[in-house]
Amino acid sequence: MAMAALRREGRRFLLSSASSTPITARSAISNEESCLFGARSISTQIVRNRMKSVRNIQKITKAMKMVAASKLRGVQTKTENSRGLWQPFVALLGDGFSVDVKKNVVITVSSDKGLCGGINSTSVKVSKALTRVYSGPEKETKYVVLGEKGKAQLVRDSKNRIELTISELQKNPLNYTQVAVLADDILKNVEFDALRIVFNKFHSVVSFPPTVSTILSPEIVEKESEAGGRLGDLDLYEIEGGETKSEVLQNLSEFQFSCVLFNAVLENGCSELGARMSAMDSSSKNAGEMLDRLTLTYNRTRQASITTELIEIISGASALEG
Amino acid sequence: MASTAAVPFWRAAGMTYITYSNICASLVRGCLKEPYKSEAASREKVHFTISKWANGKPEKPTIRSDSPDQ
Repeated sequence: MAMAALRREGRRFLLSSASSTPITARSAISNEESCLFGARSISTQIVRNRMKSVRNIQKITKAMKMVAASKLRGVQTKTENSRGLWQPFVALLGDGFSVDVKKNVVITVSSDKGLCGGINSTSVKVSKALTRVYSGPEKETKYVVLGEKGKAQLVRDSKNRIELTISELQKNPLNYTQVAVLADDILKNVEFDALRIVFNKFHSVVSFPPTVSTILSPEIVEKESEAGGRLGDLDLYEIEGGETKSEVLQNLSEFQFSCVLFNAVLENGCSELGARMSAMDSSSKNAGEMLDRLTLTYNRTRQASITTELIEIISGASALEG
Repeated sequence: MASTAAVPFWRAAGMTYITYSNICASLVRGCLKEPYKSEAASREKVHFTISKWANGKPEKPTIRSDSPDQ
């Protein structure tokens, strides 16, 4: 140990006398390379710095994982409870994925923050695929984008189709009132025949398949129900009060939209946390592996320089003796 | 059947069913006693920014914050 300290002292002295440049990690190595007198071993400074930074990054990713995991628990119960909101609607009105209409509006649900694996690019990809599926003569598809990350990806090649962007939705914990106000804004600002909501449905912490929910406008629902099929069964229900069928349908489809959107936003938020948890887990693991490799290199170099010095001393001593 | 009579009026005022039901919900929440009232009020918080796009360019974003009745 004393030897190493001595060596360090000697080098510091040499460096300060030889060059007046400020000693940063990088300049230290270039000085070393230009071969100073007396500096025999490789500097381990850089490796040590690197190890420190990797360790700090690992600490951060571990903390992020913990935060995501603890948030996930609350959001997951909320999400599972919210599924009960839209299921009756699907039972009543069906999903209408295959209904072909002129004005499609794709609502892409994404997150505001990154570092959560591929969930944002998945929903963007699915939205783009939907645009292709519903494209055709006299048809148009518009986007409504929720979340910064989805916006950033869609701006690149289809910015002319973006109609509305919404962000900062997750500043407070998600609640129905908030999503209802949002749904109201979308209804008032966008003309549509069908809304296709694209989001990542939360199945488990590691699986969140992209999902599409369709909401048809009241006129289309009426047209479809006249055509028969599943929606034709609507006539079996008795409507109370003096409201006409179209009024009831309009109320229903508006309420359906806000419920489905609420569920979609929650599911996506839940998937985001799950994805972030697994992404941060694997990045902490990677940082650990990297740290192991660096430690190995560092120790080996240190050992090598000690061995060299020992050999020098012993051979010097034996030369004196001999 | 009070709601039946009310329907055309809130429609005529430019409200959607969502706004209507939200107003009703907030009235019901207002009927709660403390401490349930403030707890329910925390579920009424609204915050997001929305911006319209025209010709591939975003317009100035508007912030909707804590104004469920607007």
